[in-house]
Amino acid sequence: MSELRELVEHRPLEGRLVRLRPRDMEDEPALHSWINDPDVTQNLAARYPYSHEAEREFVKSLRDTNYKNAGFGIETLAEGKLIGNLGFHETEAESRRATLGIMIGEKDYWDRGYGTDAMRVLCRFGFEMMNLHRIELEVLAVNARARRVYEKVGFQFEGTRRDAFYKFGRYIDAHVMSLLEGELRWD
Amino acid sequence: MVVEQEQRLGDLKPLHGRLVRLRALEPEDEPLLYEWFNDPEVTSTGGGHGYPISHARERDWIDEANRPGYDYCHFGIVALDDDRLIGTVSLRRTSPENRSADLGLSIGEKTRWNQGYATDAMRVVCRFGFQQMNLHRIELGTYAEHAAAIRVYEKVGFKAEVRTRDSAFFGGRYRDGVLMGLLEGELIE
Repeated sequence: MSELRELVEHRPLEGRLVRLRPRDMEDEPALHSWINDPDVTQNLAARYPYSHEAEREFVKSLRDTNYKNAGFGIETLAEGKLIGNLGFHETEAESRRATLGIMIGEKDYWDRGYGTDAMRVLCRFGFEMMNLHRIELEVLAVNARARRVYEKVGFQFEGTRRDAFYKFGRYIDAHVMSLLEGELRWD
Repeated sequence: MVVEQEQRLGDLKPLHGRLVRLRALEPEDEPLLYEWFNDPEVTSTGGGHGYPISHARERDWIDEANRPGYDYCHFGIVALDDDRLIGTVSLRRTSPENRSADLGLSIGEKTRWNQGYATDAMRVVCRFGFQQMNLHRIELGTYAEHAAAIRVYEKVGFKAEVRTRDSAFFGGRYRDGVLMGLLEGELIE
């Protein structure tokens, strides 16, 4: 833990396997392929296909990283390869809260701890650099794998929004989870 | 048969309840809304941090809100007994794919509190959401300590689904929120 302390002082965007970095237009082809990959989007809210033009607009909207727009690319430390996106949206200053979203777009990196590490780095950044008090997220009830990751990081289950999403011909429950200051777990 | 059907359709009063009816907001409602939404007693129960609202801002808001439709459906609540505006209610953030919407209610006229007006307005707007807008799910958010509101919502059929820890800060401390949901067929009349 003291080792991590030192790390955070100097490299708040680095974890054990990944670093978080801003995204640029060079990343557009990767982002475009992920958001159009049904394996990637099946457990996300995304539904409609994205054009390159729409994706470029999206990348442009990411240009400034700041309190209201704290989104990052996830890059592996070993190869420097961009493997996914994550970030906060709906940050609310008065209540010091934000909503977290994450996707690992490179399927070869699923189930190998990259998502968990990226979650930890982002949450640490949220608490220690952005001074958040509460981080929340929503996960479809059918996405048990993601929920295990969130629990490992310390997120607590708060309840179920019944039938909140409709996809693949049926209504799906959404689970709401949250992590408060001091609850982030590294092991 | 055709005549019967037409009569029944003609009898539909989708915006009427027992105590209230819903109507579109008008620019003339601005002074009342200005008074209510600058009254901390009214706004503290509905969230918000208590920033003051100018007349200009209120007029802009009415200008946006006074065209009820699927995407952004705001209503004024009018008491049937004296035909006066007593509050507002809305269905927002509608999603056609999920057939869902967020409900927000505010009874601004404090002399009408605790007399069934909120309950009646809730029923009318939820019935409108299900029967006219073809929604599947209506959701609302309140605070765990706001027991009176939760009772009203439960009476109408809403179920408390999520307790969000420390999700709102106002009045000097963090408060737990409660998300409540009502699905098609669950409205208690």
